[in-house]
Amino acid sequence: MNYFLRKLGFYAIALWAALTLNFMIPRLLPGNPVDILLAKLQQRGGIVTAETRRAYELLLGGNSDQPLIAQYWDYLVNVFHGDLGVSVTYFPAPVSEVIAASLPWTIMLVGIATILSTILGVGLGAIVGWKPGTWLDSLVPATTLLAAVPYFWLALILVYAFATTWRLFPGQGGYDVVLDPGWSWEFIGSAVKYGFLPALTIVIASIGGWLLGMRNMMVSTLSEDYILTAEAKGLRNGKILRSYAARNAMLPSIAGFAISLGFVVSGSIVTEQVFSYPGIGSKLLTAVTNNDYALMQGIFLYITLAVLGANLVVDILYGFIDPRTRAKS
Amino acid sequence: MFLHSSRTRSLAVAAIVATAALALTGCTSSGSSSSSSSADTLIAYTGQSGDYQINFNPYSPSSIGGIGTIFEGLFFITNVNSAPYTPLLGTDYTWSDDGTQLDVTLREGVTWSDGEAFTADDVVFTFNMLLDTPSINTGGFDGTVTAADDTHVTFTWTHPAFVDGPTVLGRSYIVPEHIWKDVDPTTDVMEKPVGTGAFALTNFKAQAFTLSANPTYWDGEPKVKAVRYLSLSGNTAGADALAAGTIDWQTGPVPDIKNVSKNYQGYDAITVPQNQMILATCSSAELGCTGPQTDPAVRQAIYYAMDRDQANSLAFEDTASEISPSFALTTSQSDLISSSLEEPIAPSSPDVATSDALLTGAGWAKGADGIYAKDGEKLSLTVEVVTGWTDYITALDTIKQQLKTAGIDITVAQSSWNEWTDKKGKGNYQLAIDSLGQGPASDPYYLYNNYFSTANTAAVGTSVSLNIGRFSDANVDAALTVLKATNPADTATRQAQFDIIQASIVENMPYIPIMTGGTTSEFHSAKFSGWPTLDDLYAFPAIWASPDNSQIFKTLVPTGK
Repeated sequence: MNYFLRKLGFYAIALWAALTLNFMIPRLLPGNPVDILLAKLQQRGGIVTAETRRAYELLLGGNSDQPLIAQYWDYLVNVFHGDLGVSVTYFPAPVSEVIAASLPWTIMLVGIATILSTILGVGLGAIVGWKPGTWLDSLVPATTLLAAVPYFWLALILVYAFATTWRLFPGQGGYDVVLDPGWSWEFIGSAVKYGFLPALTIVIASIGGWLLGMRNMMVSTLSEDYILTAEAKGLRNGKILRSYAARNAMLPSIAGFAISLGFVVSGSIVTEQVFSYPGIGSKLLTAVTNNDYALMQGIFLYITLAVLGANLVVDILYGFIDPRTRAKS
Repeated sequence: MFLHSSRTRSLAVAAIVATAALALTGCTSSGSSSSSSSADTLIAYTGQSGDYQINFNPYSPSSIGGIGTIFEGLFFITNVNSAPYTPLLGTDYTWSDDGTQLDVTLREGVTWSDGEAFTADDVVFTFNMLLDTPSINTGGFDGTVTAADDTHVTFTWTHPAFVDGPTVLGRSYIVPEHIWKDVDPTTDVMEKPVGTGAFALTNFKAQAFTLSANPTYWDGEPKVKAVRYLSLSGNTAGADALAAGTIDWQTGPVPDIKNVSKNYQGYDAITVPQNQMILATCSSAELGCTGPQTDPAVRQAIYYAMDRDQANSLAFEDTASEISPSFALTTSQSDLISSSLEEPIAPSSPDVATSDALLTGAGWAKGADGIYAKDGEKLSLTVEVVTGWTDYITALDTIKQQLKTAGIDITVAQSSWNEWTDKKGKGNYQLAIDSLGQGPASDPYYLYNNYFSTANTAAVGTSVSLNIGRFSDANVDAALTVLKATNPADTATRQAQFDIIQASIVENMPYIPIMTGGTTSEFHSAKFSGWPTLDDLYAFPAIWASPDNSQIFKTLVPTGK
């Protein structure tokens, strides 16, 4: 039990540190929301006068005279009440609403893509590692090459080929805009169709890492004595591959998978930007470019919680799966 | 044998499934695109990237639409022409001689889109709401308003308010009292906006919304039956959508701007010169600016050393046009340029002899490296620009080469928009490339008042948003005060003041004129007729310019194609 308590204590401190950084980092950015709002209005032909500035300062409360330490305390209290403040960019929508509207899109897209690429990568890696030295080995450089190609470039090529040239899939958006969002088959079908290309980019770009890691673990596991024993017992090859080799080789991949699930929440800013996907990544970019402190803090908080949560789950699971990690040193 | 045949069969099945899937997806994609665009629906792309957050409150800074289309002003006033104001909810207006009273006659028989009648009380309510809520009073209305009867309202001020006219008459959007009296105008997002305009909101989704024609509009139902606004990922996505024919109107540059009608079948483009591009300088040493640019001779020398034709062709695809150092637009305000100015238009080719003479006259001397210096200080300046503003960056790279020949060294510093805005506002910069915006009507007064008045600037370190050149001149301030109290019809008095202002700003040149930047829009001329042309510029043809865009929506006629 002591092990778990120690872990929980560590995570509580990590959470506090993350919250504090969340508070500090946006405030180190140059500029303030009112000036940026005015600059954008002006850039787009809006009529900006001294009165406009005064009105927006009053409206957004951009220039707070409160000392930083008081702001920090208010922030901590509000976070624990679940109040993340009001977004300046999407004024007057509360931050929690803005996040709630975009989070499901990201979780579905990046979540499904992460699960798919893990399953495909680990599965292929096991097979490639099972037969080292055959033509299957060429899968390793092929997939790592795809992972090494700049990500946006891959996405643009896919858009060019599938969306612009062959017109098989739509290149932009999250769903067909003539449909009403809801749980209808038509809408889900359109969401799947619009999500296919972005998901494909994520899968293609990340499969190489999984495959390489699994294949290397397989190769070293295969040289273990218990594999030799299994072969000596005359077990079928398929049985050895699944129950003896792959099962043990997969342990590091499981940890990696849990961590990457934590990062699902942070979305994939580049994918969402290239495909104009309505997820959390594009919201984060908007928040940063508009000095929207509240929205930035809210999104960072969600990401922090997700990553910490995923780590905690892995730590606890590992305690159960692998007793060695529980032992007192 | 058996194994072999089974594999062949499964391969064949897979092939059939794959073909069927391809055929299916092909089918659905073509089906959906034809159903989403009909001949009288205009599809607009405003540059919106990411989701729309619903907000049809015309007084909210994050309003996404409805200005002009749903909520109308009393008159339609544009800053691209000097034509008389187009009557909307108001039909006539008269100023008192001293400019402290404005009488407006309202249109009869107008109804709100929920069926209630529009009366003078709604107008009075709207302006009183602005007075009571300083945080939405972006036009700075500071008068009083009373209704004489159902169709007459009177505005009174304690000071002459001629220059407030366009904001009151054209940029204050009248809202229905029977709905707005119960809402908080600062935070309500008007999910179901009720207005008097030609369009009404019929559908809203995070990625698109639709405004449909109002059948009971006082001027008759518009011919364009619906306007759908889309969200895409940016300029590139906009150009792609244009090539695919999925949007009808967008504003922004596309590759090969000169041949839009050739490259995009059925589309046309219009470029309206309206943005006066400048090198802003932190000009005032008294207010705390430091660097060689605080010397007016340096600013003048840069002005003469530029090769504007070259910058235009290299950076702006020849879409920019001439600029007047007086900052009166050479298109619609050319008659306001002072006749005593030696050069009404900035030179298009470099004049190094003049810049040399100016610098030498101010005590600068050329060093061994060909760069001027004075008291050991090299004539070396940093220009701030936003990362990713490729046209401005190219322009600056060009200007850098040109100035080098004239013995002036500039360094281009790129930073994020936030940082650039911060530096400009606080005055922590030497030069910054930017553009000067126009006012609510075609009148250079607004530009002069915004960017050249002492009231709109402050010492370095205090953030300002307009007069970033930190220019302050008592003569200009006095002339602006006279202009405020002069009836716009009294052109002789106004011109005398313009002469004073222009003489001062040309001599001091806190903003170094580069060129007038064009705003280019691409529109589907085969699907709709009646778009503005340079000869008939009845509104500013940018999709994001409201209320100008609603005037265009009302004028367009679907061709039925």
